[in-house]
Amino acid sequence: MKIIAGVDIGNSTTEVCIGSIDYFGELKFLSGASVPTTGTKGTIANIHSIKSALKQALSKAGLEEKDLTLVRLNEAAPVIGDTAMETLTETIITDSSMIGHNPSTPAGAGQAVGRLISMECMKQRETGEHYILTASRSHTYEEIAAAINAAPDGIQGVILQADEAVLVWNRLDHKIPIIDEVAQIEKLPDGELAAIEVALAGQSIRMLSNPYGIATLLKLNADQTRMVTPIAKSLIGKRSAVVIRTPNGNIRENVLPAGEIYLHGEKDTSINLDEGAGKIMAAVCDAGKIRDIRGQADTNVGNMFERIRRSMSELDGQQAEDIHITDILAVDTLAPVKISGALAGETCLEKAVGVAAMVRTQQLPMQKIAQRLHSELGTEVVVAGVEAVMASFGAMTTPGTQLPIAVLDMGGGSTDAAVITESGKVIMTHQAGAGELVSMLIQIELGLEDRHMAEQIKKYPLAKVESLFHMRMEDGRMNFVEESIEPKFYGRVVLLTEKGMVRMEKDIPMEKIVQVRREAKKKVFVTNALRAMKAVAPDHDMKKIANVVLVGGSAEDFEIPEILMEEFAGYRIVCGRGNIRSTEGPRNAVATGLVLSYLGE
Amino acid sequence: MQFSEELVRKITDEVMAQLRAQDLASQSVSPLAGRERVNEKKTDYSGYPRAAKGSDPKEVVIGVGAAFQREIKKTICGISLDDVLANVKAGIEEEGMVSRVVKILDTSDVCFMALEAAKLSGSGIGIGIQSKGTTVIHQKDLYPLSNLELFPQAPLMNLETYRGIGRNAGKYVKGEQVVPIPCTNDPMSRPKYQVKAALMHIAETEQLDPEVGAIEWEG
Repeated sequence: MKIIAGVDIGNSTTEVCIGSIDYFGELKFLSGASVPTTGTKGTIANIHSIKSALKQALSKAGLEEKDLTLVRLNEAAPVIGDTAMETLTETIITDSSMIGHNPSTPAGAGQAVGRLISMECMKQRETGEHYILTASRSHTYEEIAAAINAAPDGIQGVILQADEAVLVWNRLDHKIPIIDEVAQIEKLPDGELAAIEVALAGQSIRMLSNPYGIATLLKLNADQTRMVTPIAKSLIGKRSAVVIRTPNGNIRENVLPAGEIYLHGEKDTSINLDEGAGKIMAAVCDAGKIRDIRGQADTNVGNMFERIRRSMSELDGQQAEDIHITDILAVDTLAPVKISGALAGETCLEKAVGVAAMVRTQQLPMQKIAQRLHSELGTEVVVAGVEAVMASFGAMTTPGTQLPIAVLDMGGGSTDAAVITESGKVIMTHQAGAGELVSMLIQIELGLEDRHMAEQIKKYPLAKVESLFHMRMEDGRMNFVEESIEPKFYGRVVLLTEKGMVRMEKDIPMEKIVQVRREAKKKVFVTNALRAMKAVAPDHDMKKIANVVLVGGSAEDFEIPEILMEEFAGYRIVCGRGNIRSTEGPRNAVATGLVLSYLGE
Repeated sequence: MQFSEELVRKITDEVMAQLRAQDLASQSVSPLAGRERVNEKKTDYSGYPRAAKGSDPKEVVIGVGAAFQREIKKTICGISLDDVLANVKAGIEEEGMVSRVVKILDTSDVCFMALEAAKLSGSGIGIGIQSKGTTVIHQKDLYPLSNLELFPQAPLMNLETYRGIGRNAGKYVKGEQVVPIPCTNDPMSRPKYQVKAALMHIAETEQLDPEVGAIEWEG
């Protein structure tokens, strides 16, 4: 009897499958194991994880290392990926016209227009004129309220530096809208016309987020109204806002010179980054098989590709000039960026494009690993089979599949697809963009500081802790717990990981996080799955594929398989998370394929 | 370091002298030596209305120490307790919540004070403030020694901190995410203030009246 081990070294995990072949040539699967990969994929450092995975799997089957007849290693896909992001627009405020402001507790409701006047100049008011009072931190809420109550004529609204809007409002005889937490209140120019608006509870502002609303309040002409459009746009969805009309003040949305992308393929084309992800992807599709992608020198996109090349050459050990980018996935995104010149630290969502690039490398030194493993174990070790083919063999062990079968392997750096037709022909493709691009998009759109948090948001569902004994899950269900939740999670949005809760430090509503997360996954995986399936389908017709089996790390995600299933349902394709050997779930496909393929040799 | 009884007495006398200088002239406190109490007289709270359990879901109850605004009028670092209370209340009001102040006569332990306040509160959120300034935000379902937020170093707190405490308590009621209040930490504050803190705590503890329990204090 022969004992065969299939070993798959992946970017994040190393997987092993053990099978036995008896004298009649009958194959029986004995066990499997999965451990985290040590070192970078395809380097000698992987030996440790291979040995510990083998040991685990063998002991599960009641065997020892000396029982092994043959170890089969995968020929890893010679592609590595990288991601980058570039903003396309930039909002600049010149002079002190303040825009969107979102203090947590403004007071009152409605809008007010008037000339700005500070507490110190209260006495200089002219009768019949409308004013908006500004008060710095040096005045207490009692002083401010008393001053307004004593001489309320003409004061339409208040802007405060301290967080005291409700405190002042509660003490006013005549209620007017109040906005607070304007840090740089001394920059507000006395005597200029300003408009403030506070929305009703549960609503967002209406007048100041509408260019014609601003025009009505500040009496603007058609030209000036066109100028305030970016202001109105940046105020959409805010609870409160201030707009000041200053003679020279202006808000501009600059389009940065992003630069051209040059695609060298069957057809050489170029496309400007400003055109957005849709057009870029269409150009990539038009170019056919791509040899290399470059960016216009000394532009944002040029620098972006240069960065990718440099980091790839560090990983690969080749000269940066020899690195050829063979595929990119571009995704539109919005990045919250601090506005330069703003008075209250406002941010504005700037258009940006995220790019994942894929680079073909030299053959990874699998042979070296095989030799080393042979000398350490004393067993025969061979490098056998291309990863994508092995994955398809493994995927066929999923119950309910039939030929032609397609495998979609969604990993961290790249999305790989392969199809086996009834005649046994295998077509495969590697595409840029997978889990890491999703993490990057989540990080950018939520404005998170570290990538690790974005990774966790990608992986785990959310909940909002509403009391010490219950929390609301992201789908709206209530969950009551037996043991009280730790006080540090009280009132927080948390991630439900297998090691307990992780607290979101940034104050972002749960619904917003869920939306960003799902959108990011859709943008990357749906785009890539369709692209990959079209590339490998017989005659590029997706309807000719009967089954799509999802394997790889991202197939274990709690929502990606569902998102893809919905998408593929329209093509009448059976699509689902793989269940390798009916037991392993979407993992272990390659390792299983390696054992299976021994039969064919 | 060696401590002689004489030295301890000297320090105590010195501190008491300073305390007296700060305190009201009306209270003629004689030297502590040979006495068992810091303040001769014990205030009688039996005529005050007992603190009731609130029913307003927007309510935050502030439980102050037994000597608060009576025997002790300033925190350990000299901030007027009137201002402390005003700022905590302002913080709660700015968040749109309602505050109520009770005096806790059962205990002078700040965690138990805060928990008692939380149990009297309509929202289940309470704040305990000792007369020396130490503050805790508590929730009615928690164990006494666990809490939502603890501000242990009273000598380093200022009125901004107290405003922030009120604001955070209000946010807890609304189930909003709180922003941690920036606090300074000084390892020397413990040796520097230990004697004063002990004396202030004794002064507070001797005013306890568990038979009366908790009373409505103002507002």
